[in-house]
Amino acid sequence: MDMLIFYAMTTSRYAVIVMSVLIIVRCIRSMLSERYEAEVWAYVYRGDEAIPVCHWENLIGRSLSVDIRIDNRSMSRVHAVLVRSDTGEWRIFDIFSKGGVWVNGMKVSPYGAQIHSGDSINLAGNFLRFLDINRYHRSLLDAQRTEAGLRVEPFITLMYLTVFEVFLMIEHMCTAEGQFVKAICLAFLGLICLQWLCYHLMRFINRSGFEVETLAFYLSALGMSVAATSTPEDMFKQLLLTIVGVALFLLSGWWFRSLKRSSAARTPMAILAILLLGVNVVTSDAVFGARNWLEIGGYSFQPSEFVKVLYIFAGASTLDRLYRRNELYSFIGFSALCVVAMALIGDFGTALIFFVSFLVISFMRSGSIATVLLAVSGAGLAGVLAVTVKPYIAQRFAIWGHVWEDIYDKGYQQTRAMSAAASGGLFGKGAGEGWLKDIFAANTDMVFALVSEDLGMIVAVCMVLAVLALAFFAMRSARHARSAYYAIAACTAMSMLLVQLSLNVFGSLDILPFTGVTFPFVSRGGSSLLSCWMMMAFVKSADNRKNASFAVKTPERTGIYEDEFDEFDEEDIE
Amino acid sequence: MKKIRNRSVSLLIIAFLVICGMIVYVLRYVDDGKEWALYFSRSNSGSTGQLLDRNGVTLAYFSGFENRFADDATTRTANYHVTGDYWNRTGNGFLAEYWDEAMGFDLITGTTQAEHSQMLLNIDSTLNNIMYKHLSVLEIPIDEDESLTELPFEPHTVHQWRVAVDGEGKLIEESEKDVLIANSWDRPRFCNSAMMVCNYRTGELLGMISLPTVDPMDTETPPAEGAYINRCLSASFTPGSVFKLVTAAATIENTDQLSEKRYYCEDEYYIAGVPIVCTHSHYNQSFELAMANSCNVAFAQMAVKLGQDTMVNYVKQYGFLDKQSLDGIPTVAGSYPTEFVGDPELGWSGIGQSTDLVCPYAMLRFVCAIANDGVLLEPKMINDGKAPKAERFMEASTARKLQEMMSYNVSYSYGGEHTFPGLNMCAKTGTAEIGDGDTHAWFVGFLDDEEHPYAFVTMVERGGGGLYVAGNTTSRILQEYIGNSEGADE
Repeated sequence: MDMLIFYAMTTSRYAVIVMSVLIIVRCIRSMLSERYEAEVWAYVYRGDEAIPVCHWENLIGRSLSVDIRIDNRSMSRVHAVLVRSDTGEWRIFDIFSKGGVWVNGMKVSPYGAQIHSGDSINLAGNFLRFLDINRYHRSLLDAQRTEAGLRVEPFITLMYLTVFEVFLMIEHMCTAEGQFVKAICLAFLGLICLQWLCYHLMRFINRSGFEVETLAFYLSALGMSVAATSTPEDMFKQLLLTIVGVALFLLSGWWFRSLKRSSAARTPMAILAILLLGVNVVTSDAVFGARNWLEIGGYSFQPSEFVKVLYIFAGASTLDRLYRRNELYSFIGFSALCVVAMALIGDFGTALIFFVSFLVISFMRSGSIATVLLAVSGAGLAGVLAVTVKPYIAQRFAIWGHVWEDIYDKGYQQTRAMSAAASGGLFGKGAGEGWLKDIFAANTDMVFALVSEDLGMIVAVCMVLAVLALAFFAMRSARHARSAYYAIAACTAMSMLLVQLSLNVFGSLDILPFTGVTFPFVSRGGSSLLSCWMMMAFVKSADNRKNASFAVKTPERTGIYEDEFDEFDEEDIE
Repeated sequence: MKKIRNRSVSLLIIAFLVICGMIVYVLRYVDDGKEWALYFSRSNSGSTGQLLDRNGVTLAYFSGFENRFADDATTRTANYHVTGDYWNRTGNGFLAEYWDEAMGFDLITGTTQAEHSQMLLNIDSTLNNIMYKHLSVLEIPIDEDESLTELPFEPHTVHQWRVAVDGEGKLIEESEKDVLIANSWDRPRFCNSAMMVCNYRTGELLGMISLPTVDPMDTETPPAEGAYINRCLSASFTPGSVFKLVTAAATIENTDQLSEKRYYCEDEYYIAGVPIVCTHSHYNQSFELAMANSCNVAFAQMAVKLGQDTMVNYVKQYGFLDKQSLDGIPTVAGSYPTEFVGDPELGWSGIGQSTDLVCPYAMLRFVCAIANDGVLLEPKMINDGKAPKAERFMEASTARKLQEMMSYNVSYSYGGEHTFPGLNMCAKTGTAEIGDGDTHAWFVGFLDDEEHPYAFVTMVERGGGGLYVAGNTTSRILQEYIGNSEGADE
């Protein structure tokens, strides 16, 4: 029996590593190397030249970085925005151009004017003819695009993931205490069922992009393993949280299918965020230095985790609004409120995450480095103030880089994390075999070290690569997203997760100050897990490959006034 | 949308920083991973290790869960400077290094590979225990003028094993009693000392002790001052007359018709107006007799005759000025006046005074080479199955001449069989003046006995007379050791 366990353990240890690498490699190949073509929503004719309109929000101007470029001196660098709504209506906005915009001879105000197929647009003397295309033509054009998941089949990647999970489960079966083995098995099997259910749901609605989900499930499986190692009595709770997380992911994704719906929810979301933080500041008690927990009916949760999602919801913006100053100011005010609230709560790490996300959003919205520099210097001042007011923050900085000089007090967790991480080598000791799990916060703040110790450095690095891959994918999608709203939301969500990851991983390894934030998906913590799944919905909403994402409507299903264009001449589009 | 894409470069910057951070981590892991891992993760490793002496006595044993030393307190204490401890407080034991090595960390597998290893030493812990028993009772002669000083601690009673020694250093009484330590007079002031025994035919280092020492399992008693210093390897002392062996070796190789040579000593001898003082007037004496008399005047003359350059060459050749290495543990270098000092000082340096300092280990190599006819087998403490490094240390004829003279010393001056019953002793004493009235007692030499080819160096700091203290103690130690081993053989 002992021999059997030994062989099972050894086989599983190496299988888990091989599968991890395969999953990551396949997902990266699929997300970053497959063809990713633009959608076409309309055409503008300039003389005989047909310029495809590839997004729902298109900048028109003289600059190199606009979507529809008209190289003529009379044009402003950024002249106008051409916007399509969910329902298929097109509007054009004059964004403070010098030369002005006219539609069919009527001057367009900064609040925009609706345009129809065949309308003539005059941009400071440059005449364009706008031609919309109907549903039929959209589907014809769409048929020429490459479908996601052709080269790297998501089914096979998911099979690898399943094998990975089974071996991980076997490892835990070998090492867990007898009374928990059943619960651990059921939790892993539940996770496997959940991911296949999710996959078949996607196939059912004819979607073939599943990399984001695969990576999220991969990280969730590692989170399940961390739970099995550190708190095996809570396996069902972990599974339940994952189920709720996936449900929220699907729900948010569905919500993002409509841009109008998403965009309209911004103000309520911002208010909700401020309310949550306000309640948190007023009522919650100090838990280990930071008062970031809220208890409702016996369940404790971290409002800040949900505020992260709400923040992106409220902070992302459509292109036409980007050029309205007052929008930016109200966003800065909102961000400042969030950061100040986190500082009051004493959650230094989350405040930092918010701040970096603020920088990303504001840069993506304004493109202005000056704004970013201003914000950074403002934050620097605030930081100095915080350090003087809250001396324990200064202490954290003082020990940074010197943790080995105070291994019993301020460097207690970091030194143990580093030691455990190193002792696992590349292949780890086997799930549940390490000692770090008994150290306080091992399964949250030091989870990178916990995974390194148990499963080895290769898996721990894969864990980081998974989040990095998602980030690169979000960037790639930003180029093709229908609306700036989705692009900004996806990029901000991923930058949030990356910052969170850095603070977690590098904080516990003494490369950054130790701030005690969670590793996306993997760290124990219900609120964090739920918010991570919701963030994935942002990434999905920007995934504009053909038939890839359930959070994106297929081109032929967008718009309700389809019949209007039936008389549109097919030859015009050729 | 192009603009938005371009601006998503901010995310790229963050991703790039994350990748940099990971690279930093991997580099640090390669660099310091071993230190990190072994700091807290030893207990998780399944590896074990054992440090054994030549008879299979466990001097240290460690596994993932415990770090042990020998079970017996005396063995632990007597062998402390051989093993060192797990935390390397002595700076030159094997244990700390072996502890790290045996725990088997490597970058690929971390600490997950469990291994069981043993390390064998040439050391005989029995010999160390005997040395400890005899050396640890030597007290510094009480200076009558010393004033009463306050104790740095509360008066208390200690259990003591004491020996009484007669005027010639003979043991006359052993007693055990409780002594009340009420003032500084009552506090025994035991001598610091160092002793090593080496088999000169094989290079095996059989015994090494340095006092004061520490019981590594005793976490309550504060260690005596300087207890972590291994006086055999990490300290050097004024050699006094034992250094005359070096001057003698140089003289043998540089003097024609040495047997005809006579050295005249009348209590004092003036070199350039500076007196060299001798213990007695030895009058006319041969080279051999001058050695047996340990005549300062004669050896000062020899040193002056040889000249400083020749003396320095020999001191260098015999390795007294270099850092030596015992199985990789570096020792300290000694000193000898190498800059021009003038004849009077040169005379003093020839008899082991002046600025001469000798590390006991360097002296051991020297006597080993003499005993082994001029070929030095580099002493080895670890039994790794490899033959010791052999080198021609001095001319065979010089070595044989020195052997004869050291044998003659014993029979003529040191009481021969009376002082060293059953031991075919060849030796040289040293009573090194250290300037404040106290003297270091040295006794170096070897047994001319093919069954027991032991060379030894004994040094008792502020112990008094070389023969009385160091010589007699060495005699008792070797008698007991050889008696024991013969008893065991029968």
